[in-house]
Amino acid sequence: MKNWIKLTLIFTLLFYSLAGVAQQQRFPKPEFGTGYHQPTPVTPEPRALVLEYSDVVILLIVLSLASWLALRKRSRKGMLWLSVFTLLYFGFYRNGCICAIGSVQNVALTIFDPGYAISITTLLFFLLPLVFTLYFGRTFCAGACPLGAIQDLLIIKPLSFPDWLRKTLGLLPYLYLSLAVLFAATGTDFIICRYDPFVGIFRMDAPFHMVILGIAFLLMGMFVARPYCRFLCPYGVLLNWMSRFSKWHLAITPAACIQCKLCSDSCPFDAIDYPTDEKQIKNRIWGVNRFLFYALLIPIWILVGGYTGSKAHTWISKANSKVYLAELLITKPEVRNDDKNLDVQAFLSSGKSMETLVNEASVIRHKFYIGCWIAGGFMGLVIGMTLLSQVIYRRKEDYQPDKGNCYSCVRCISYCPVKK
Amino acid sequence: MENDAKLKLFLNIALVSGIFCLTVALLLLLNYMQMTKNKPLESKALTSLVKQLSQEPNSDELKQEIRDFDLLARKAYFNSQWQVKTGGYLLLFGAIVLAFALRVIIGLRSKIEEPDILDSNEMVGRLLTQRWVLLTGAILVILGLVASYASVDHLREYSVNDSSPNLKIADNRDKIEVIQVGQAPTVADSAKTSSVKPTVSLGSSLPVKVTQAPAVKVSFPGLAEIKSNVPSFRGPFGNGVFYQKETPVSWDAASGKNVIWKTPVPLKGYNSPIIWGTKLFLSGADNHSREVYCYERNTGKILWKQPVDKIKGSPEAAPKVTEDTGYSAPSLTTDGNRVYAMFATGDIICFDMDGNRIWARNLGVPDNHYGHASSLMMLKDKLFVQYDTNKSRKLIGLKASTGQTAWETQRKGKISWASPILAEINGKYQVVLSTDPMVAGYDADSGKELWSLNCMMGEVGPSPAFGSGLIFAANEYAKLVAIDPVKNVKVWESDEYMPEVASPVTANGLLFIATSYGVIACYDAKSGQKYWVKEDGTGFYSSPVIVDNKLYTFNTAGKMKVFEVGKTEKILGEGDAAEKVTTTPAFKDGRMYLRTPKFIYCIGKK
Amino acid sequence: MENNPKNSRREFIRKGSRISLLLTLGAVGGFSARNITHEKYVWQIDPFKCTQCGRCATSCVMTPSAVKCLHAYDLCGYCDLCGGYLKPDPNKLSTAAENQLCPTSAIQRKYIEEPYFEYVINEDLCIGCAKCVKGCTSFGNGSLHLQIIHRICLNCNECSIARLCPSDAISRVRASKPYLVKGSFTNDAKG
Repeated sequence: MKNWIKLTLIFTLLFYSLAGVAQQQRFPKPEFGTGYHQPTPVTPEPRALVLEYSDVVILLIVLSLASWLALRKRSRKGMLWLSVFTLLYFGFYRNGCICAIGSVQNVALTIFDPGYAISITTLLFFLLPLVFTLYFGRTFCAGACPLGAIQDLLIIKPLSFPDWLRKTLGLLPYLYLSLAVLFAATGTDFIICRYDPFVGIFRMDAPFHMVILGIAFLLMGMFVARPYCRFLCPYGVLLNWMSRFSKWHLAITPAACIQCKLCSDSCPFDAIDYPTDEKQIKNRIWGVNRFLFYALLIPIWILVGGYTGSKAHTWISKANSKVYLAELLITKPEVRNDDKNLDVQAFLSSGKSMETLVNEASVIRHKFYIGCWIAGGFMGLVIGMTLLSQVIYRRKEDYQPDKGNCYSCVRCISYCPVKK
Repeated sequence: MENDAKLKLFLNIALVSGIFCLTVALLLLLNYMQMTKNKPLESKALTSLVKQLSQEPNSDELKQEIRDFDLLARKAYFNSQWQVKTGGYLLLFGAIVLAFALRVIIGLRSKIEEPDILDSNEMVGRLLTQRWVLLTGAILVILGLVASYASVDHLREYSVNDSSPNLKIADNRDKIEVIQVGQAPTVADSAKTSSVKPTVSLGSSLPVKVTQAPAVKVSFPGLAEIKSNVPSFRGPFGNGVFYQKETPVSWDAASGKNVIWKTPVPLKGYNSPIIWGTKLFLSGADNHSREVYCYERNTGKILWKQPVDKIKGSPEAAPKVTEDTGYSAPSLTTDGNRVYAMFATGDIICFDMDGNRIWARNLGVPDNHYGHASSLMMLKDKLFVQYDTNKSRKLIGLKASTGQTAWETQRKGKISWASPILAEINGKYQVVLSTDPMVAGYDADSGKELWSLNCMMGEVGPSPAFGSGLIFAANEYAKLVAIDPVKNVKVWESDEYMPEVASPVTANGLLFIATSYGVIACYDAKSGQKYWVKEDGTGFYSSPVIVDNKLYTFNTAGKMKVFEVGKTEKILGEGDAAEKVTTTPAFKDGRMYLRTPKFIYCIGKK
Repeated sequence: MENNPKNSRREFIRKGSRISLLLTLGAVGGFSARNITHEKYVWQIDPFKCTQCGRCATSCVMTPSAVKCLHAYDLCGYCDLCGGYLKPDPNKLSTAAENQLCPTSAIQRKYIEEPYFEYVINEDLCIGCAKCVKGCTSFGNGSLHLQIIHRICLNCNECSIARLCPSDAISRVRASKPYLVKGSFTNDAKG
């Protein structure tokens, strides 16, 4: 009888294991009679942290070198080869990630989400170019940015754009920046990384539409110099602000300008300011009145922008996957039966209640509401300031780089007949 | 001249590399289109071939065809990958050459030109800029506003259609007339015929929403009333002893012998029937829905059937449970006024006897690797929930009238699947729970732990039993112990026969155990002396119960054996459900009620 | 020109702006640095959260995906009837193409002794489709599971699979413990 009980005990033990406790195995590992040695799965280590730090060091070196080349050596050739190195190292070797442009989002996320810890390398990638720009101008764009490098190297026959078109398209980076920060701060998406047109080329691997986008940008870049930098780059907005107040900046001429106008066509980015035409200033159509009007309009622009943004927050927040899922489940309850909808099925099997999901989505939507107010207000401010800048006249005597928009690529210097 | 030759050379290079790039790009595009169209790894043709094979499993021809096709598909996939990779590098190389050649050509062709005359009128440019910036601003505002009007905030449409309005009106604690359980009840025994007292018309006529709170008097059932009914799992106080007479000792499902009625139960469930008056309650659930059923006890007709849904906090999909636990393992409980049910989702719901929903709430989805199994128990105005999860162990006392938490006692120990029982010790009622590692008693009023003894082990399934002043608890691979709850000491223990699922039962100074390997053992309750052991071929999940000095046992094969409650083994009768039986029967008015996987049976003399 | 009051005023304004911009940068940097990490983080899949939806194969920026199937041999039952290797209702318990679940034939089945078989993943062929993982988790011990292989993973700033993962199974983990391999990493260990 004892034997029989033992047998049943074994059976019940088996039953227990079959009953499927998460940690227990349904089929216990056999004990092998033959001398079997089980292999170990191969788990290669990730890239070492030291190499991340070396990336920062290389960035620092490249930035210093670019600044030296632009301000001291004044060598276009040197800058060209530096940008080739940047393209090869940060672009093709490091696959364009992490880059200073994308780091904007990491910084935004870490500011708004205390649960997210930013790595020190990412923060340095964000800060170093800005600090350098504050002292030396946008030498980062010329020498240290792989996205800038690939576009710069492909400039074939740049077309000149009228002022109004550049200014209007110049609003796009601000819009892109505010959306990128909004999406990053709400933990929705990193749109800068996702829609980076060149990263696919660096990786030699990308979804089809991104390949097409990247090639389109490069083809366009043959005639529209640096289209991404000028009309999209969100980080360029910050660099622009820094560069305007930079301590030192590339100058076209090493000595006094002789007003020969030779450099006037040299910049593919239309970033050379011409001397002001005294006659025109005298004949200016708009006086102080227009200036005051635009200045007073700024708070209204901010309010209108913020209001519009807050109105649009419902629509914009649908980009968040959680909000999208919650709304989908509310409006189309029948998707619960759709086995192909992986998100719905994963949610259903998670055992989470619908109410929790809706609550989470509402919290996110509220974040979007606040974020959209701020982003809208910011866009309003940008438009207001752009208008205001159009009625401000600053006397310029020489041909000089437009400090905000100049990438310090050193092209113009070779056009200047003044040496020393 | 040299310049011209150079120009010609680079023009040719540019031309060749341009054509090269274009060709490679076109080939890549072709490859991409082919891959997205055919998807060799998800080939439908292959799937249909495999399906065909399952119909004619011995067709060697078909097998060969599948093998060839499979090889082809994999070849196509890896070839295409190789092509994309190689093509990408070729394109890159071509593009570099092309770009270099173009730059040289442009450089050679460029002449120093007279600079363009400056934009003569800066003012015109500035005016244009202002206009365009204004226009852009306006477009952005319009786009934003259009987006806002075109999009709807669906999140606001969502609301849990919960029964919270009822919560308020049902809370009338102050008016509750307290009747001491344990004293001879003043309430007439007429409860047998009409258990729903007129004072409890509270819920019966309640629509979903009630605006005014009617003055309601709720009275608690007395001891006699509780004893004459089956208010919870394993009878009054969950002790496995029924105070009924003339219960049937033989029946047969196949032939219909002594079967008064049999009714199908719509949804599956391992909960056992409970009875109050003429009503019998069950619940059932699957991973989509949960329901509570009320049957007429004499006819077997379903009186009402209510869904358990729209509960705040209830998970969208049921948690994972094992097949042998299911979603509605906990048995219901009732006080004659209301009936309460709980499910593996953590949903707990209260209906009145007519099926009107009084309250419902979700206690949180229990993290339980088999599924929540502990049955409900109640006394007076409290509903006891043994809320054991892998994360925390709790005994929760809910206000029966509203479902609000009256108290919550954190318990030490591990998760348990046993059910609470009530034991009257020193004139006061205690909730007794069996858990790894301890058996413990909690004050039924406050939930305070009164005593606790470490003597259990493992994943405890059997509930404790109370009799002869002792608490009996047991579990497979652990021990069978008898505890004196007053002195908090172990009186005796045995490790010979131990149940895995079925709970022990005691009466007349005897203790009975039914194990999952098919042994029924009888002990002396006081001393632990073993009187007799009966080996049945099949194991027991259904708890043995004692009715009228008879021990009713059902093995998992559905065979019933009735023994005399005595120091010697004596079989009084046998029965057969012809189905698997894992639930515990209920007895009332000379009849036995048994739930099988598909049916609910009423057994008795016709 | 140095003495031109207008110019020096301009210079003063620029200097002030520069310092305030520098302070702003410092503030942003300092505020971000309050929860800065000196450790490197990499993306990894929690195999206990994974629902084997198959998006890893298609959403990764790498083709084929950086996600591969790993085999925790300690958890393997070495079954003859392997839910991860064989199609449901296989024609025969053999290595023939019609019985194999893996679309790229990346699992090798090797006889050890009656009735046990060893299953080895050929990482070069694996595309991370999770078909075998699903089979093993539903019918077996769940010893097959997905992991991001860091030799291939580019550690993108935002992981495109993490964004699309329906069960939020992909998160950043410390680079010092870059794998959540089943066996050494248990559901309990997560705490």
